[in-house]
Amino acid sequence: MRSMKRMLLTLLVALLAFGGTAAAQVVVDFWHGMTGGRLSVMEQVIDDFNARDPNMQINPILMGTYAEGLSRWLASHPIGEEPPLVQIYEVGTQAMHDSGMIIPAYQIPERLGVDWDFGQYVVPIVLYYSRDGNLWSWPFASSTSMLYYNADHFRAAGLDPNAPPTTWDEMHEYGLQLLEAGVARDTLSFGWPDWQFEQQLALHDQPYIDNGNGRLGHGTNVMWPSEFTNELISQWGAMAEAGTWLYGGPEYEVNSAFTAGELTMLMQSTSSLDAIMRTVGDDFEVRTAFLPRLEGWPRGNSIIGGNSLYVSSNASDEELEVIFAFFQYLAEPEVDIFWHKNTGYFPATNAALKQLMDEGWFQESPNPLTAFLQILSGRTDSPNTLGSRIGPFVESRDYVRDALSEVSRGADPEVAFGRAAERITVLLNEWVEFID
Amino acid sequence: MTNDRFPGHNFLPYVLVFPTLAVIAVFLVVPFVQAVHMSFFRLSPIGRTRVYVGFRNFEELLRAPDYHQSFLNTLLFCALVIGIGLAVSLFIAVLATQKIRGAPFYQVAFIWTYAMSPAIAGVIWALLFDPSIGLMTSIIRNVTGYRLNFFTEPIGAFALVTVASIWIMLGYNMCFYIAGLQNVPGELKEAALVDGAGPWKVFWIITFPMLSPTTAFLMFVNTLYAFFMVFGMIDVVTMGGPSQTTEFLVYKIYRDGFARMREGQASAQSVILFLMVASIAGFQIWMSTRRAVYSR
Repeated sequence: MRSMKRMLLTLLVALLAFGGTAAAQVVVDFWHGMTGGRLSVMEQVIDDFNARDPNMQINPILMGTYAEGLSRWLASHPIGEEPPLVQIYEVGTQAMHDSGMIIPAYQIPERLGVDWDFGQYVVPIVLYYSRDGNLWSWPFASSTSMLYYNADHFRAAGLDPNAPPTTWDEMHEYGLQLLEAGVARDTLSFGWPDWQFEQQLALHDQPYIDNGNGRLGHGTNVMWPSEFTNELISQWGAMAEAGTWLYGGPEYEVNSAFTAGELTMLMQSTSSLDAIMRTVGDDFEVRTAFLPRLEGWPRGNSIIGGNSLYVSSNASDEELEVIFAFFQYLAEPEVDIFWHKNTGYFPATNAALKQLMDEGWFQESPNPLTAFLQILSGRTDSPNTLGSRIGPFVESRDYVRDALSEVSRGADPEVAFGRAAERITVLLNEWVEFID
Repeated sequence: MTNDRFPGHNFLPYVLVFPTLAVIAVFLVVPFVQAVHMSFFRLSPIGRTRVYVGFRNFEELLRAPDYHQSFLNTLLFCALVIGIGLAVSLFIAVLATQKIRGAPFYQVAFIWTYAMSPAIAGVIWALLFDPSIGLMTSIIRNVTGYRLNFFTEPIGAFALVTVASIWIMLGYNMCFYIAGLQNVPGELKEAALVDGAGPWKVFWIITFPMLSPTTAFLMFVNTLYAFFMVFGMIDVVTMGGPSQTTEFLVYKIYRDGFARMREGQASAQSVILFLMVASIAGFQIWMSTRRAVYSR
């Protein structure tokens, strides 16, 4: 009873003490699209930031899916209802750049009159979000795609788990052997199939659209179907028919088949790593590998996915101070490491990477290193390998998805992708009409 | 009238209904007027420019094959949900009102589906029919050898959301049919039986006509479900796919407006959808007041 009283008293004193400074408190609303396990991890990160200085507060608000968050933010800026800070997925990059509604990331330290070393961020992330050599959005949750596989299935089918497939031919052969052994119902599926298609283009240094893959200026022509896509997609179609590739839904739906041990190989975002490892537990051994390639085509790189942070052009200097403090906080190795370990997203800074290596994290859990090595070992000097910049990207992906699902049930790849390309070309031109 | 009920308080009735009217105005009327207004504009995807285009949004919609497909699929979906849904509900309601042991148990067992939101029901059905780990997929495969993947098969996906929708409305429909059946006067049925009519004939000439107010009401409610409430299920199960087969009108508005950044067109679609549903509802109400038997 007495301790209760004392607590109330302390609370009162604390309230009075803070009452005087309350006026200086700046709360920055932050729209985001994190759901599932990632949400609680992000909330933890923000809570820790907020606990440091009561005058600097970030207020996270879930705005639905990535696609919804993007349109909402773009629609609310002209009427001044947007939050100063917003998380946007990589698909929205071009739209945000074109909007003229943001302060490019590299200008934020300048405006506050401070120096900030952008060299501390991991290079592929910086390159993905840069324009004319400057970083336009703040690195936050970066991922790429990789191959997850069930090593127990490999062993049961007489395959060597230390030699995962590296080419699409091998993916097919391994699949046939797995089917024959009857260890799994399905051998391969994709998360975000539209994105996997983009990954394959970049992985083989192939363009998605013209004008430097949309990185030199707005592209108005889709560069496929090409000889490359015909070969790749025909192979996927043949695999679907043979039962070695399953079209498993638009986003994360097929993860549950993998974690249930009904699917042997899964091409999915690295951001699913932590959730997959936790769900699988000790049920079977999860291994990871680089994405498979098509033999005889040039080498490129996998593309950065995930999301980054943008700051509204309407942000006041007070808000900007808080936001920049938050960005600095995110770059602290401990914070970055916590984020990486609990989500599977890449560590964004070189300092965090070094510390992870020094403490032996990658020896004890090698899977987070896979995608990292994949993206660091690939080419970064061609716009094709950095990924395309497309304004109407959300809608474009709808059509690629449609084409892939059609191919998986036997449609001709060139026809299906030709139709998608035609529709996307119309979108690209409409976009240019509005922006320029 | 008001003076009789609230003597000396002429304004009281208006004060009492004000909160309701205010909510309707703010959340329904104002957004609707805005949608009508926006349907005459072409909006830049990034919200800066706005060009008045007159009826061009509507013209483009009426020419777009995508929109035709969505329109026809929605009508087919609606017809199936109402036709099959009401028939099955009535059938089970008749069974559940027979004098059998445990009738209340069956009634409750069938009604509870309505307690679930369409999104939750969608999750359950999507898991049952998951191409890899779905129980039903596995059963179908073992029995027929056919492997259903609703992520890629338009007909499979359409059938899945239709069956799931019929299932979720089953409880609600049955509830009303059971109530309706209990109101059919026994003496009419007995009189018909005495006159030599069989049970089948009794049903068609006595029970079914007596249920017509219920049927009319349920048609109205199911139409609203098929046009609007199905959203949650589509979003969870198919996201409009594959190849936009299950992108019904209401879901198309959402995708076009909020994901594809075509607000003007989405507004035009919502105006068309409003006019369509309003006229269907109006027709149903007119039909039911004309044809339904409301009094004994």
